[in-house]
Amino acid sequence: MQSLGFAYAIEPVLKKLYPDGAEYEARLRCHLEYFNTQPYLASFILGAVVRMEEDRALNSLVDNDVVGLKSALMAPLGALGDSFFWGALKPLAAVGAVALIMTGYWWAPLLFLIFYNVWHLGLRAAMLFWGYNSRGNAVELMAKFSFMKMAKQFKVITLTILGGIIGMASDWRPEFHAKDALPVLPLMALWLAVVLALVAILRRGGSPIKLMLGLAVFCLALVYAGVIV
Amino acid sequence: MPMFDTHMIFTIAAVAFFGAIIGLDRLAVGQCMISQPIVAGPLTGWMLGDPTAGIIIGAVLELIWVLDMPVGTFVPADATVSAVSATAIAAMGSTTGAALPLIGFCILLTVAMVPVTMRADNVVRHWNSRLVDAVMDASGKESGRALVRAHLSGLLAFYLKSVFLYLVFLPLGVAAVFVFKQLPENIHRAMSLFVKLLPLIGIALVVRKLSMNMIDLFLIIGFLLAAVAGQFFHAQAFTMILLVAAGGWLGARYREWHSQ
Repeated sequence: MQSLGFAYAIEPVLKKLYPDGAEYEARLRCHLEYFNTQPYLASFILGAVVRMEEDRALNSLVDNDVVGLKSALMAPLGALGDSFFWGALKPLAAVGAVALIMTGYWWAPLLFLIFYNVWHLGLRAAMLFWGYNSRGNAVELMAKFSFMKMAKQFKVITLTILGGIIGMASDWRPEFHAKDALPVLPLMALWLAVVLALVAILRRGGSPIKLMLGLAVFCLALVYAGVIV
Repeated sequence: MPMFDTHMIFTIAAVAFFGAIIGLDRLAVGQCMISQPIVAGPLTGWMLGDPTAGIIIGAVLELIWVLDMPVGTFVPADATVSAVSATAIAAMGSTTGAALPLIGFCILLTVAMVPVTMRADNVVRHWNSRLVDAVMDASGKESGRALVRAHLSGLLAFYLKSVFLYLVFLPLGVAAVFVFKQLPENIHRAMSLFVKLLPLIGIALVVRKLSMNMIDLFLIIGFLLAAVAGQFFHAQAFTMILLVAAGGWLGARYREWHSQ
């Protein structure tokens, strides 16, 4: 999966540590073995592996220590990173930006990029050095950065903003609002009821594509039935 | 006036070139979120002179695909190709800024293309997985050069995949828009309604994935906070968003404190 990228990233270090061609080739092959984790937290493993390769070049480690470290870290860090970055930080940044766009703020995409990348790039750089200095001590990492706790907080804030988007229906951009259809408060209550009904439908199984195609058919039916003029 | 004039062909080529560069951010380079629909859509719209279409398409598709995560070996929908294609088709299909029905039609069109983009992603990933063998076959210092070649070939494969998809989707989309414009007014009205209701599907998709509850308490709290602040205190939208976010943060802290 990501073995090629990992080997590409560590190759300059190997070239420097192992001037001997055969040894260099052996170490490069070692890093081409299966590797798959969350891409941002891979920098923690990369930092740790660089440190261990340095130790190994000084004959203080055996090969299996490096391979074992990668194998041991990739699954838990993958789960942790997926849950935090993809499952909490990205939805928070995106939903916040969508809330701003829906209410007419054109610069929301810029805010999305800044908010997300302050976390992303900051943590990515910090992880590299943290991995190097701690020699891959993931327990220390998890004690320092409470990823799970932050993920839970971010998810709650995201859900609240989603509710807020529905509660701001009267302030939506002209392209989205349907002020003429109903008075404001009943309209917002209707949108909330529709969202809750859709959540119930999704719980019974249903893909985004099917829902969107279904919505298009529903809209056509409403127009041809004369409900929407 | 012909459907595909020189300007149109040049525009399609430019979108394919730049869209594929943006697409590299999705999996292959950086992952700084430039490839997310909420950025890729407005960027494409701005390049083609219709930022409004890009903003609307980007916001809607972002909500729909934001939690489609690349976890493990799962290949999510290529939301970048969808957002860039929908925006480009909408912008090319109108000279004075795309109308709402056209935007709705373009979103629907690119949603139908999603299975093709997922299949193309799978093919490229399968091809890329064999690149490791090429490095394994090299020996000595040559293996370093083989690694660089293999790595860059992988990036190129992702890039060319996106270029190919744009070169197929965009002309088809422009032709479809030509047909759409001839369709009865009722279908245009339905597409307009489709765009207005799409954010509700997006919100439901995110709620479904973030919450285990059928009726999520924090969703209701956010709704009530915004509704009261907006309707009774006439707060500005930006203030309401800050208020709602602060309310969510306090709620999260309270839940933590309560569960200890």
